[in-house]
Amino acid sequence: MKLLTEGKSKLALLGSVAVILIVFPLLVAGKPFTINICILAGISIILGMTFSMLFSAGLISLGCAAFYAIGAYASALLTMKLGLNFWLALPLAIIITGAVALAIGSMLVRNPGFSFVVLTLLFALVVAEVVGQLGFFGGWGGIIDIPRPDPIGPIEFSSNISYYYLLLFLLALVVTVFYALYTSRVGRAWRAIKLSASLAQTLGINAYRYRLLAFVVASSAAGLAGSFYAHYYQTVIPSTFSGWVSIYIQLYAVLGGLEFYILGPAVGAVIMTFAPEFLRVIKEFEPLIMGALLLAIILFFPGGILGTLQKLPRFSLASISARMKRIAKGVFTRDNLTK
Amino acid sequence: MALLEIRSLGKYFGGLAAVRDLDLDVFNLEILGLIGPNGAGKTTLFNLVTGFHSPSSGTVIFKGEDITSLRPDQIARKGIGRTFQASTLFMQRTVFDNVFFGSHKHYRQPEWKALLHTPAVRKEESAIKQRVMEILEFMGLASLKDKLAGNLPHGYQRALGLCIALATEPELLLLDEPVTGMNPTETSALLELIRKIRDRGITIVVVEHNMGVVMSLCDRLAVLNYGQKIAEGAPEEVKENKQVIEAYLGKGSSR
Repeated sequence: MKLLTEGKSKLALLGSVAVILIVFPLLVAGKPFTINICILAGISIILGMTFSMLFSAGLISLGCAAFYAIGAYASALLTMKLGLNFWLALPLAIIITGAVALAIGSMLVRNPGFSFVVLTLLFALVVAEVVGQLGFFGGWGGIIDIPRPDPIGPIEFSSNISYYYLLLFLLALVVTVFYALYTSRVGRAWRAIKLSASLAQTLGINAYRYRLLAFVVASSAAGLAGSFYAHYYQTVIPSTFSGWVSIYIQLYAVLGGLEFYILGPAVGAVIMTFAPEFLRVIKEFEPLIMGALLLAIILFFPGGILGTLQKLPRFSLASISARMKRIAKGVFTRDNLTK
Repeated sequence: MALLEIRSLGKYFGGLAAVRDLDLDVFNLEILGLIGPNGAGKTTLFNLVTGFHSPSSGTVIFKGEDITSLRPDQIARKGIGRTFQASTLFMQRTVFDNVFFGSHKHYRQPEWKALLHTPAVRKEESAIKQRVMEILEFMGLASLKDKLAGNLPHGYQRALGLCIALATEPELLLLDEPVTGMNPTETSALLELIRKIRDRGITIVVVEHNMGVVMSLCDRLAVLNYGQKIAEGAPEEVKENKQVIEAYLGKGSSR
Protein backbone atom coordinates (compact mmCIF):
# COMPACT_ATOMS: atom_id res chain seq x y z
CA MET A 1 0.00 0.00 0.00
CA LYS A 2 2.98 2.33 0.31
CA LEU A 3 2.78 3.29 -3.35
CA LEU A 4 -0.69 4.56 -2.63
CA THR A 5 -0.02 6.39 0.58
CA GLU A 6 2.82 8.76 -0.16
CA GLY A 7 1.00 12.06 -0.44
CA LYS A 8 2.76 14.34 -2.90
CA SER A 9 4.37 11.74 -5.12
CA LYS A 10 0.96 10.08 -5.33
CA LEU A 11 -0.60 13.26 -6.72
CA ALA A 12 2.25 13.66 -9.20
CA LEU A 13 1.82 10.08 -10.35
CA LEU A 14 -1.94 10.46 -10.65
CA GLY A 15 -1.56 13.67 -12.67
CA SER A 16 0.93 12.22 -15.10
CA VAL A 17 -1.11 9.03 -15.57
CA ALA A 18 -4.22 11.15 -16.25
CA VAL A 19 -2.38 13.27 -18.84
CA ILE A 20 -1.00 10.20 -20.59
CA LEU A 21 -4.42 8.56 -20.68
CA ILE A 22 -6.09 11.69 -22.04
CA VAL A 23 -3.45 12.37 -24.71
CA PHE A 24 -2.95 8.74 -25.69
CA PRO A 25 -5.76 8.38 -28.28
CA LEU A 26 -4.41 11.41 -30.17
CA LEU A 27 -1.09 9.61 -30.59
CA VAL A 28 -2.64 6.47 -31.99
CA ALA A 29 -5.60 8.14 -33.70
CA GLY A 30 -5.04 6.21 -36.90
CA LYS A 31 -5.21 2.84 -35.14
CA PRO A 32 -8.73 2.04 -33.98
CA PHE A 33 -7.48 -1.45 -33.18
CA THR A 34 -5.15 -0.11 -30.48
CA ILE A 35 -7.93 2.02 -29.02
CA ASN A 36 -10.12 -1.07 -28.91
CA ILE A 37 -7.48 -2.94 -26.89
CA CYS A 38 -7.27 0.02 -24.53
CA ILE A 39 -11.02 -0.05 -24.01
CA LEU A 40 -10.87 -3.78 -23.31
CA ALA A 41 -8.10 -3.13 -20.80
CA GLY A 42 -10.22 -0.43 -19.14
CA ILE A 43 -13.15 -2.80 -18.68
CA SER A 44 -10.78 -5.43 -17.30
CA ILE A 45 -9.34 -2.93 -14.82
CA ILE A 46 -12.81 -2.21 -13.40
CA LEU A 47 -13.56 -5.93 -13.18
CA GLY A 48 -10.21 -6.66 -11.54
CA MET A 49 -10.88 -3.91 -9.00
CA THR A 50 -14.15 -5.57 -8.03
CA PHE A 51 -12.28 -8.76 -7.18
CA SER A 52 -9.77 -6.74 -5.17
CA MET A 53 -12.47 -4.95 -3.23
CA LEU A 54 -13.96 -8.26 -2.13
CA PHE A 55 -10.47 -9.53 -1.34
CA SER A 56 -9.83 -6.47 0.81
CA ALA A 57 -12.78 -7.55 2.95
CA GLY A 58 -11.53 -11.12 3.18
CA LEU A 59 -13.81 -12.55 0.49
CA ILE A 60 -12.56 -14.53 -2.50
CA SER A 61 -15.17 -14.40 -5.23
CA LEU A 62 -15.11 -16.38 -8.44
CA GLY A 63 -18.42 -14.84 -9.43
CA CYS A 64 -17.44 -11.33 -10.51
CA ALA A 65 -18.37 -12.21 -14.11
CA ALA A 66 -21.96 -12.90 -13.04
CA PHE A 67 -22.53 -9.27 -12.10
CA TYR A 68 -20.70 -8.13 -15.21
CA ALA A 69 -23.26 -10.21 -17.14
CA ILE A 70 -26.22 -8.91 -15.13
CA GLY A 71 -25.18 -5.32 -15.80
CA ALA A 72 -24.73 -6.01 -19.51
CA TYR A 73 -28.04 -7.84 -19.93
CA ALA A 74 -29.99 -5.39 -17.77
CA SER A 75 -28.70 -2.47 -19.80
CA ALA A 76 -29.29 -4.25 -23.12
CA LEU A 77 -32.86 -5.21 -22.22
CA LEU A 78 -33.70 -1.77 -20.79
CA THR A 79 -32.73 -0.13 -24.07
CA MET A 80 -34.08 -2.81 -26.40
CA LYS A 81 -37.37 -3.68 -24.69
CA LEU A 82 -38.23 -0.46 -22.88
CA GLY A 83 -36.64 1.91 -25.34
CA LEU A 84 -34.62 3.76 -22.71
CA ASN A 85 -31.45 5.48 -23.81
CA PHE A 86 -28.02 4.48 -22.52
CA TRP A 87 -27.71 7.40 -20.12
CA LEU A 88 -30.74 6.17 -18.22
CA ALA A 89 -30.02 2.48 -18.70
CA LEU A 90 -26.50 2.77 -17.24
CA PRO A 91 -27.52 3.96 -13.75
CA LEU A 92 -30.52 1.62 -13.76
CA ALA A 93 -28.30 -1.33 -14.69
CA ILE A 94 -25.97 -0.42 -11.83
CA ILE A 95 -28.93 -0.31 -9.42
CA ILE A 96 -30.35 -3.60 -10.70
CA THR A 97 -26.97 -5.31 -10.37
CA GLY A 98 -26.59 -3.88 -6.87
CA ALA A 99 -30.05 -5.16 -5.91
CA VAL A 100 -29.28 -8.67 -7.16
CA ALA A 101 -25.96 -8.54 -5.30
CA LEU A 102 -27.78 -7.51 -2.13
CA ALA A 103 -30.20 -10.44 -2.41
CA ILE A 104 -27.52 -13.03 -3.27
CA GLY A 105 -24.88 -11.53 -1.01
CA SER A 106 -27.08 -11.49 2.08
CA MET A 107 -27.12 -15.28 1.83
CA LEU A 108 -23.55 -15.95 0.65
CA VAL A 109 -21.63 -13.52 2.83
CA ARG A 110 -22.70 -15.28 6.03
CA ASN A 111 -20.18 -18.05 5.41
CA PRO A 112 -17.17 -16.28 3.95
CA GLY A 113 -14.85 -19.28 3.66
CA PHE A 114 -14.60 -22.04 1.12
CA SER A 115 -18.35 -22.23 0.57
CA PHE A 116 -18.34 -18.60 -0.55
CA VAL A 117 -15.73 -19.34 -3.22
CA VAL A 118 -17.67 -22.30 -4.56
CA LEU A 119 -21.09 -20.66 -4.40
CA THR A 120 -19.97 -17.49 -6.19
CA LEU A 121 -18.48 -19.58 -8.99
CA LEU A 122 -21.66 -21.60 -9.13
CA PHE A 123 -23.71 -18.42 -9.31
CA ALA A 124 -21.63 -17.21 -12.26
CA LEU A 125 -22.19 -20.50 -14.08
CA VAL A 126 -25.93 -20.39 -13.36
CA VAL A 127 -26.27 -16.81 -14.66
CA ALA A 128 -24.50 -17.71 -17.93
CA GLU A 129 -26.70 -20.79 -18.27
CA VAL A 130 -29.95 -18.95 -17.52
CA VAL A 131 -29.40 -16.17 -20.06
CA GLY A 132 -28.44 -18.82 -22.61
CA GLN A 133 -31.48 -21.03 -22.01
CA LEU A 134 -34.20 -18.39 -21.85
CA GLY A 135 -35.47 -16.76 -25.01
CA PHE A 136 -36.27 -13.58 -23.09
CA PHE A 137 -32.52 -13.01 -22.74
CA GLY A 138 -31.85 -13.79 -26.38
CA GLY A 139 -30.78 -17.40 -25.84
CA TRP A 140 -27.34 -18.67 -26.79
CA GLY A 141 -27.33 -16.36 -29.80
CA GLY A 142 -27.45 -13.37 -27.45
CA ILE A 143 -28.84 -9.91 -28.09
CA ILE A 144 -27.64 -7.95 -31.10
CA ASP A 145 -28.07 -4.40 -32.36
CA ILE A 146 -27.97 -2.83 -28.91
CA PRO A 147 -28.12 0.94 -29.51
CA ARG A 148 -25.11 3.19 -29.04
CA PRO A 149 -25.35 5.92 -26.39
CA ASP A 150 -27.29 8.99 -27.59
CA PRO A 151 -25.03 11.89 -28.48
CA ILE A 152 -24.46 14.39 -25.68
CA GLY A 153 -24.12 17.80 -27.30
CA PRO A 154 -21.51 17.60 -29.99
CA ILE A 155 -20.12 14.27 -28.74
CA GLU A 156 -21.36 11.38 -30.86
CA PHE A 157 -20.59 7.78 -30.10
CA SER A 158 -19.71 6.74 -33.60
CA SER A 159 -15.99 6.20 -33.12
CA ASN A 160 -13.86 4.22 -30.73
CA ILE A 161 -12.32 7.40 -29.42
CA SER A 162 -15.54 8.74 -27.92
CA TYR A 163 -16.07 5.38 -26.23
CA TYR A 164 -12.51 5.55 -24.95
CA TYR A 165 -13.18 8.85 -23.23
CA LEU A 166 -16.51 7.64 -21.87
CA LEU A 167 -14.78 4.63 -20.37
CA LEU A 168 -12.00 6.82 -19.01
CA PHE A 169 -14.63 8.89 -17.25
CA LEU A 170 -16.38 5.82 -15.84
CA LEU A 171 -13.05 4.36 -14.73
CA ALA A 172 -12.15 7.61 -12.97
CA LEU A 173 -15.54 7.52 -11.25
CA VAL A 174 -15.07 3.95 -10.02
CA VAL A 175 -11.50 4.63 -8.89
CA THR A 176 -12.66 7.71 -6.97
CA VAL A 177 -15.44 5.86 -5.18
CA PHE A 178 -13.21 2.88 -4.40
CA TYR A 179 -10.40 5.13 -3.21
CA ALA A 180 -12.79 7.03 -0.94
CA LEU A 181 -13.96 3.73 0.54
CA TYR A 182 -10.45 2.32 1.05
CA THR A 183 -9.18 5.45 2.78
CA SER A 184 -12.20 5.80 5.07
CA ARG A 185 -13.14 3.80 8.13
CA VAL A 186 -15.00 1.41 5.81
CA GLY A 187 -11.70 0.38 4.24
CA ARG A 188 -10.13 0.02 7.68
CA ALA A 189 -13.01 -2.17 8.82
CA TRP A 190 -12.59 -4.34 5.70
CA ARG A 191 -8.88 -4.78 6.37
CA ALA A 192 -9.54 -5.62 10.00
CA ILE A 193 -12.15 -8.22 9.02
CA LYS A 194 -9.81 -9.71 6.43
CA LEU A 195 -6.94 -10.07 8.88
CA SER A 196 -9.00 -11.46 11.75
CA ALA A 197 -12.78 -11.50 11.61
CA SER A 198 -13.20 -12.57 15.24
CA LEU A 199 -10.89 -9.86 16.55
CA ALA A 200 -12.66 -7.30 14.36
CA GLN A 201 -15.99 -8.32 15.89
CA THR A 202 -14.73 -7.84 19.44
CA LEU A 203 -13.92 -4.27 18.36
CA GLY A 204 -17.56 -3.61 17.51
CA ILE A 205 -17.22 -4.15 13.76
CA ASN A 206 -20.25 -5.84 12.22
CA ALA A 207 -18.39 -8.21 9.89
CA TYR A 208 -21.52 -9.36 8.07
CA ARG A 209 -22.69 -5.86 7.24
CA TYR A 210 -19.28 -4.68 6.03
CA ARG A 211 -18.77 -7.77 3.89
CA LEU A 212 -22.19 -7.29 2.37
CA LEU A 213 -21.35 -3.66 1.64
CA ALA A 214 -18.19 -4.74 -0.20
CA PHE A 215 -20.17 -7.32 -2.14
CA VAL A 216 -22.84 -4.85 -3.23
CA VAL A 217 -20.43 -2.02 -4.14
CA ALA A 218 -18.06 -4.32 -6.05
CA SER A 219 -20.92 -6.01 -7.89
CA SER A 220 -22.46 -2.66 -8.84
CA ALA A 221 -19.14 -1.62 -10.35
CA ALA A 222 -19.05 -4.87 -12.33
CA GLY A 223 -22.59 -4.02 -13.48
CA LEU A 224 -21.35 -0.64 -14.67
CA ALA A 225 -18.61 -2.34 -16.68
CA GLY A 226 -21.21 -4.71 -18.14
CA SER A 227 -23.52 -1.90 -19.18
CA PHE A 228 -20.68 -0.08 -20.94
CA TYR A 229 -19.61 -3.32 -22.62
CA ALA A 230 -23.11 -4.00 -23.99
CA HIS A 231 -23.38 -0.61 -25.65
CA TYR A 232 -19.82 -0.64 -26.89
CA TYR A 233 -19.94 -4.01 -28.65
CA GLN A 234 -23.68 -3.58 -29.25
CA THR A 235 -23.93 -7.32 -28.68
CA VAL A 236 -24.15 -9.54 -25.60
CA ILE A 237 -23.79 -13.30 -25.82
CA PRO A 238 -23.71 -15.73 -22.90
CA SER A 239 -20.27 -17.13 -23.74
CA THR A 240 -18.72 -13.70 -23.03
CA PHE A 241 -19.60 -14.22 -19.36
CA SER A 242 -18.51 -17.82 -18.87
CA GLY A 243 -16.83 -19.04 -15.70
CA TRP A 244 -13.43 -18.43 -17.32
CA VAL A 245 -14.02 -14.70 -17.23
CA SER A 246 -14.15 -14.83 -13.44
CA ILE A 247 -10.84 -16.70 -13.39
CA TYR A 248 -9.30 -14.02 -15.61
CA ILE A 249 -10.69 -11.25 -13.42
CA GLN A 250 -9.02 -12.86 -10.44
CA LEU A 251 -5.73 -13.12 -12.35
CA TYR A 252 -5.66 -9.38 -13.05
CA ALA A 253 -5.66 -8.73 -9.32
CA VAL A 254 -3.19 -11.51 -8.47
CA LEU A 255 -0.75 -10.59 -11.24
CA GLY A 256 -0.68 -6.91 -10.34
CA GLY A 257 -0.45 -7.54 -6.62
CA LEU A 258 -3.26 -8.50 -4.25
CA GLU A 259 -2.29 -5.96 -1.62
CA PHE A 260 -2.67 -3.09 -4.11
CA TYR A 261 -6.41 -2.79 -4.32
CA ILE A 262 -6.51 -0.20 -7.12
CA LEU A 263 -3.11 -0.19 -8.83
CA GLY A 264 -2.79 -3.99 -8.71
CA PRO A 265 -5.76 -4.80 -10.98
CA ALA A 266 -4.78 -1.86 -13.22
CA VAL A 267 -1.27 -3.20 -13.81
CA GLY A 268 -2.48 -6.79 -14.09
CA ALA A 269 -5.31 -6.05 -16.50
CA VAL A 270 -3.17 -3.88 -18.77
CA ILE A 271 -0.48 -6.54 -18.99
CA MET A 272 -2.94 -9.37 -19.52
CA THR A 273 -4.80 -7.46 -22.23
CA PHE A 274 -1.76 -6.25 -24.16
CA ALA A 275 0.57 -9.24 -23.77
CA PRO A 276 -1.49 -11.59 -25.97
CA GLU A 277 -1.41 -8.96 -28.71
CA PHE A 278 2.37 -8.96 -28.67
CA LEU A 279 2.39 -12.72 -28.76
CA ARG A 280 0.14 -12.81 -31.81
CA VAL A 281 2.93 -13.93 -34.13
CA ILE A 282 2.97 -17.26 -32.39
CA LYS A 283 -0.75 -17.35 -31.94
CA GLU A 284 -1.30 -21.02 -31.20
CA PHE A 285 1.24 -20.92 -28.37
CA GLU A 286 -0.12 -17.73 -26.81
CA PRO A 287 -2.31 -19.35 -24.13
CA LEU A 288 0.53 -21.72 -23.27
CA ILE A 289 3.06 -18.91 -22.85
CA MET A 290 0.62 -16.74 -20.91
CA GLY A 291 -0.26 -19.65 -18.66
CA ALA A 292 3.37 -20.52 -17.95
CA LEU A 293 4.18 -16.87 -17.29
CA LEU A 294 1.31 -16.48 -14.85
CA LEU A 295 2.15 -19.69 -13.06
CA ALA A 296 5.76 -18.56 -12.67
CA ILE A 297 4.74 -15.16 -11.32
CA ILE A 298 2.28 -16.59 -8.82
CA LEU A 299 4.77 -19.24 -7.66
CA PHE A 300 7.88 -17.10 -7.42
CA PHE A 301 6.45 -13.62 -6.83
CA PRO A 302 3.38 -14.17 -4.66
CA GLY A 303 3.19 -10.41 -4.00
CA GLY A 304 2.43 -9.85 -7.69
CA ILE A 305 4.26 -7.32 -9.85
CA LEU A 306 3.73 -4.34 -7.55
CA GLY A 307 4.43 -6.33 -4.40
CA THR A 308 7.75 -7.45 -5.88
CA LEU A 309 8.68 -3.97 -7.10
CA GLN A 310 7.89 -2.49 -3.72
CA LYS A 311 10.45 -4.71 -2.08
CA LEU A 312 13.15 -3.21 -4.29
CA PRO A 313 14.04 -0.02 -2.42
CA ARG A 314 14.86 1.83 -5.66
CA PHE A 315 11.29 1.59 -6.78
CA SER A 316 9.50 3.37 -3.97
CA LEU A 317 7.93 6.54 -5.27
CA ALA A 318 9.43 8.63 -2.48
CA SER A 319 12.96 7.60 -3.34
CA ILE A 320 12.36 8.26 -7.05
CA SER A 321 11.01 11.74 -6.41
CA ALA A 322 13.85 12.43 -3.93
CA ARG A 323 16.38 11.46 -6.58
CA MET A 324 14.65 13.68 -9.15
CA LYS A 325 14.86 16.60 -6.74
CA ARG A 326 18.53 15.96 -6.13
CA ILE A 327 19.19 15.92 -9.86
CA ALA A 328 17.18 19.10 -10.36
CA LYS A 329 19.07 20.79 -7.53
CA GLY A 330 22.36 19.76 -9.04
CA VAL A 331 21.40 21.21 -12.38
CA PHE A 332 20.15 24.53 -11.10
CA THR A 333 22.70 25.37 -8.40
CA ARG A 334 24.51 28.64 -9.02
CA ASP A 335 27.80 26.87 -9.73
CA ASN A 336 26.29 25.06 -12.65
CA LEU A 337 24.55 28.14 -13.96
CA THR A 338 27.67 30.30 -13.95
CA LYS A 339 29.86 27.71 -15.57
CA MET B 1 -25.98 -4.81 41.65
CA ALA B 2 -23.21 -6.68 39.94
CA LEU B 3 -21.74 -5.36 36.68
CA LEU B 4 -22.12 -8.73 34.98
CA GLU B 5 -24.69 -11.29 36.11
CA ILE B 6 -24.55 -14.78 34.68
CA ARG B 7 -27.66 -16.82 35.51
CA SER B 8 -27.99 -20.62 35.08
CA LEU B 9 -25.95 -20.44 31.89
CA GLY B 10 -25.49 -23.65 29.91
CA LYS B 11 -23.77 -24.62 26.69
CA TYR B 12 -23.97 -28.10 25.22
CA PHE B 13 -21.92 -29.29 22.27
CA GLY B 14 -23.90 -32.34 21.26
CA GLY B 15 -24.19 -34.30 24.52
CA LEU B 16 -21.18 -32.63 26.09
CA ALA B 17 -21.85 -29.93 28.63
CA ALA B 18 -19.07 -27.37 28.27
CA VAL B 19 -20.82 -25.05 30.71
CA ARG B 20 -23.59 -26.25 32.98
CA ASP B 21 -26.06 -24.29 35.09
CA LEU B 22 -23.54 -21.59 35.89
CA ASP B 23 -24.23 -18.61 38.14
CA LEU B 24 -21.56 -15.98 38.45
CA ASP B 25 -21.44 -12.30 39.41
CA VAL B 26 -18.67 -9.91 38.43
CA PHE B 27 -18.57 -6.81 40.61
CA ASN B 28 -17.54 -3.33 39.65
CA LEU B 29 -13.79 -2.66 39.59
CA GLU B 30 -12.67 -6.06 40.80
CA ILE B 31 -10.15 -8.39 39.21
CA LEU B 32 -11.85 -11.75 39.14
CA GLY B 33 -9.75 -14.82 38.39
CA LEU B 34 -11.39 -17.69 36.57
CA ILE B 35 -9.48 -20.89 37.16
CA GLY B 36 -9.96 -24.59 36.67
CA PRO B 37 -8.36 -27.59 34.94
CA ASN B 38 -8.07 -27.72 31.16
CA GLY B 39 -11.46 -28.19 29.53
CA ALA B 40 -13.32 -26.82 32.54
CA GLY B 41 -15.24 -24.39 30.30
CA LYS B 42 -13.40 -21.14 30.98
CA THR B 43 -12.86 -20.10 27.38
CA THR B 44 -16.34 -21.32 26.46
CA LEU B 45 -17.69 -19.02 29.16
CA PHE B 46 -15.84 -16.08 27.59
CA ASN B 47 -17.23 -17.01 24.19
CA LEU B 48 -20.75 -17.14 25.64
CA VAL B 49 -20.46 -13.76 27.34
CA THR B 50 -19.00 -12.08 24.22
CA GLY B 51 -21.55 -13.59 21.83
CA PHE B 52 -19.25 -15.93 19.88
CA HIS B 53 -21.31 -18.89 21.11
CA SER B 54 -25.02 -18.69 21.73
CA PRO B 55 -25.94 -20.32 25.04
CA SER B 56 -28.15 -23.41 25.19
CA SER B 57 -29.82 -22.01 28.31
CA GLY B 58 -29.60 -19.18 30.79
CA THR B 59 -29.00 -15.46 30.56
CA VAL B 60 -26.14 -12.97 30.60
CA ILE B 61 -26.96 -9.56 32.05
CA PHE B 62 -24.57 -6.63 31.68
CA LYS B 63 -25.33 -3.40 33.56
CA GLY B 64 -28.88 -4.61 34.10
CA GLU B 65 -29.45 -5.29 30.41
CA ASP B 66 -29.96 -8.73 28.88
CA ILE B 67 -27.23 -9.27 26.28
CA THR B 68 -27.69 -13.02 25.86
CA SER B 69 -28.71 -13.07 22.22
CA LEU B 70 -26.60 -10.20 20.89
CA ARG B 71 -23.89 -10.52 18.23
CA PRO B 72 -20.19 -10.10 19.19
CA ASP B 73 -19.95 -6.63 17.64
CA GLN B 74 -23.09 -5.48 19.50
CA ILE B 75 -21.73 -6.77 22.80
CA ALA B 76 -18.43 -5.00 22.11
CA ARG B 77 -20.39 -1.78 21.66
CA LYS B 78 -22.13 -2.33 25.01
CA GLY B 79 -18.72 -2.15 26.69
CA ILE B 80 -17.29 -5.66 27.00
CA GLY B 81 -13.80 -6.09 25.59
CA ARG B 82 -11.75 -9.26 25.36
CA THR B 83 -8.42 -10.67 24.36
CA PHE B 84 -7.87 -14.09 22.87
CA GLN B 85 -5.86 -17.03 24.15
CA ALA B 86 -3.36 -17.03 21.29
CA SER B 87 -1.93 -13.70 20.19
CA THR B 88 -4.79 -12.65 17.96
CA LEU B 89 -3.64 -9.42 16.33
CA PHE B 90 -3.67 -7.85 12.89
CA MET B 91 -0.23 -9.32 12.29
CA GLN B 92 0.56 -7.71 8.93
CA ARG B 93 -0.24 -4.20 10.18
CA THR B 94 1.72 -1.79 12.31
CA VAL B 95 1.26 -1.50 16.06
CA PHE B 96 -0.41 1.88 15.50
CA ASP B 97 -2.85 0.49 12.91
CA ASN B 98 -3.79 -2.35 15.25
CA VAL B 99 -5.00 0.06 17.90
CA PHE B 100 -6.44 2.41 15.25
CA PHE B 101 -8.56 -0.46 13.89
CA GLY B 102 -9.51 -1.16 17.48
CA SER B 103 -11.05 2.31 17.78
CA HIS B 104 -13.77 1.56 15.24
CA LYS B 105 -16.68 1.93 17.62
CA HIS B 106 -15.86 5.56 18.45
CA TYR B 107 -16.80 6.93 15.03
CA ARG B 108 -19.86 9.14 15.37
CA GLN B 109 -19.92 10.82 11.96
CA PRO B 110 -22.18 9.03 9.46
CA GLU B 111 -20.50 6.70 7.01
CA TRP B 112 -21.37 8.62 3.84
CA LYS B 113 -19.66 11.67 5.29
CA ALA B 114 -16.63 9.51 6.05
CA LEU B 115 -16.39 8.73 2.33
CA LEU B 116 -16.30 12.44 1.51
CA HIS B 117 -13.56 13.04 4.11
CA THR B 118 -15.37 16.15 5.37
CA PRO B 119 -13.57 18.41 7.88
CA ALA B 120 -15.69 17.00 10.71
CA VAL B 121 -14.65 13.48 9.76
CA ARG B 122 -10.99 14.42 9.57
CA LYS B 123 -11.24 16.12 12.94
CA GLU B 124 -12.82 13.01 14.43
CA GLU B 125 -10.14 10.79 12.91
CA SER B 126 -7.31 12.89 14.24
CA ALA B 127 -8.90 12.87 17.71
CA ILE B 128 -9.09 9.08 17.50
CA LYS B 129 -5.47 8.86 16.34
CA GLN B 130 -4.48 10.98 19.31
CA ARG B 131 -6.28 8.57 21.63
CA VAL B 132 -4.46 5.68 19.98
CA MET B 133 -1.16 7.33 20.86
CA GLU B 134 -2.34 7.90 24.43
CA ILE B 135 -3.15 4.22 24.80
CA LEU B 136 0.21 3.19 23.32
CA GLU B 137 1.99 5.55 25.70
CA PHE B 138 -0.02 4.29 28.67
CA MET B 139 0.94 0.73 27.81
CA GLY B 140 4.56 1.59 26.99
CA LEU B 141 4.38 0.66 23.30
CA ALA B 142 4.58 4.16 21.80
CA SER B 143 8.14 3.72 20.57
CA LEU B 144 7.12 0.61 18.63
CA LYS B 145 4.17 2.19 16.85
CA ASP B 146 5.56 1.71 13.32
CA LYS B 147 6.69 -1.89 13.82
CA LEU B 148 4.66 -4.68 12.30
CA ALA B 149 2.65 -6.51 14.95
CA GLY B 150 3.83 -9.86 13.59
CA ASN B 151 7.48 -8.90 14.18
CA LEU B 152 7.08 -8.03 17.88
CA PRO B 153 8.43 -10.27 20.65
CA HIS B 154 5.76 -12.39 22.29
CA GLY B 155 5.46 -10.26 25.41
CA TYR B 156 4.86 -7.10 23.40
CA GLN B 157 2.29 -8.90 21.27
CA ARG B 158 0.27 -9.74 24.37
CA ALA B 159 0.54 -6.15 25.54
CA LEU B 160 -0.61 -5.00 22.10
CA GLY B 161 -3.60 -7.32 22.41
CA LEU B 162 -4.46 -5.44 25.60
CA CYS B 163 -4.02 -2.09 23.81
CA ILE B 164 -6.47 -3.12 21.10
CA ALA B 165 -9.02 -4.19 23.70
CA LEU B 166 -8.50 -0.91 25.58
CA ALA B 167 -9.11 1.07 22.38
CA THR B 168 -12.76 0.01 22.55
CA GLU B 169 -12.94 1.68 26.00
CA PRO B 170 -14.57 -1.31 27.68
CA GLU B 171 -16.09 -1.25 31.14
CA LEU B 172 -15.47 -4.97 31.47
CA LEU B 173 -12.39 -6.62 30.05
CA LEU B 174 -12.05 -10.38 29.66
CA LEU B 175 -8.45 -11.61 29.45
CA ASP B 176 -7.81 -15.16 28.25
CA GLU B 177 -4.48 -16.43 29.61
CA PRO B 178 -2.66 -13.10 29.27
CA VAL B 179 0.77 -14.24 30.52
CA THR B 180 1.06 -17.63 28.77
CA GLY B 181 4.50 -18.17 27.28
CA MET B 182 6.03 -15.18 29.03
CA ASN B 183 9.22 -15.14 31.07
CA PRO B 184 9.02 -13.89 34.70
CA THR B 185 10.14 -10.35 33.81
CA GLU B 186 7.55 -10.03 31.05
CA THR B 187 4.94 -11.54 33.34
CA SER B 188 5.45 -9.08 36.17
CA ALA B 189 5.48 -6.18 33.69
CA LEU B 190 2.18 -7.30 32.23
CA LEU B 191 0.61 -7.82 35.67
CA GLU B 192 1.58 -4.26 36.51
CA LEU B 193 -0.20 -3.11 33.33
CA ILE B 194 -3.32 -5.09 34.19
CA ARG B 195 -3.45 -3.43 37.62
CA LYS B 196 -3.00 -0.05 35.96
CA ILE B 197 -5.89 -0.81 33.64
CA ARG B 198 -8.11 -1.64 36.59
CA ASP B 199 -7.07 1.60 38.27
CA ARG B 200 -8.38 3.39 35.19
CA GLY B 201 -11.82 2.10 36.13
CA ILE B 202 -12.07 -1.10 34.13
CA THR B 203 -13.37 -4.30 35.68
CA ILE B 204 -11.32 -7.36 34.75
CA VAL B 205 -11.99 -11.08 34.49
CA VAL B 206 -8.91 -13.13 33.84
CA VAL B 207 -8.53 -16.79 32.90
CA GLU B 208 -5.12 -18.00 33.98
CA HIS B 209 -3.35 -21.26 34.76
CA ASN B 210 -0.35 -19.80 36.53
CA MET B 211 -1.36 -20.00 40.21
CA GLY B 212 1.29 -17.54 41.35
CA VAL B 213 -0.11 -14.97 38.96
CA VAL B 214 -3.70 -15.63 39.98
CA MET B 215 -2.94 -15.38 43.68
CA SER B 216 -1.06 -12.10 43.40
CA LEU B 217 -3.33 -10.43 40.85
CA CYS B 218 -6.91 -11.34 41.68
CA ASP B 219 -9.24 -9.94 44.33
CA ARG B 220 -11.55 -12.91 44.01
CA LEU B 221 -11.47 -16.32 42.38
CA ALA B 222 -14.10 -18.54 40.79
CA VAL B 223 -13.20 -22.16 40.12
CA LEU B 224 -14.75 -24.12 37.28
CA ASN B 225 -14.66 -27.87 36.82
CA TYR B 226 -16.55 -29.79 34.14
CA GLY B 227 -18.45 -26.64 33.24
CA GLN B 228 -19.69 -26.03 36.77
CA LYS B 229 -18.63 -23.56 39.41
CA ILE B 230 -17.22 -25.53 42.34
CA ALA B 231 -15.87 -22.68 44.46
CA GLU B 232 -15.79 -18.91 44.71
CA GLY B 233 -14.16 -16.48 47.09
CA ALA B 234 -10.95 -14.77 48.18
CA PRO B 235 -7.75 -16.42 46.83
CA GLU B 236 -6.69 -17.60 50.30
CA GLU B 237 -10.03 -19.34 50.95
CA VAL B 238 -10.17 -20.96 47.55
CA LYS B 239 -6.65 -22.29 47.88
CA GLU B 240 -7.72 -24.25 50.99
CA ASN B 241 -10.98 -25.48 49.47
CA LYS B 242 -11.14 -29.28 49.48
CA GLN B 243 -13.10 -29.59 46.25
CA VAL B 244 -10.66 -27.33 44.43
CA ILE B 245 -7.66 -29.33 45.50
CA GLU B 246 -9.42 -32.49 44.38
CA ALA B 247 -10.27 -31.00 41.02
CA TYR B 248 -6.65 -30.06 40.40
CA LEU B 249 -4.81 -32.96 41.95
CA GLY B 250 -7.38 -35.75 42.10
CA LYS B 251 -9.23 -37.38 45.01
CA GLY B 252 -7.23 -38.34 48.05
CA SER B 253 -4.83 -35.45 47.65
CA SER B 254 -6.59 -33.21 50.12
CA ARG B 255 -5.17 -33.15 53.56
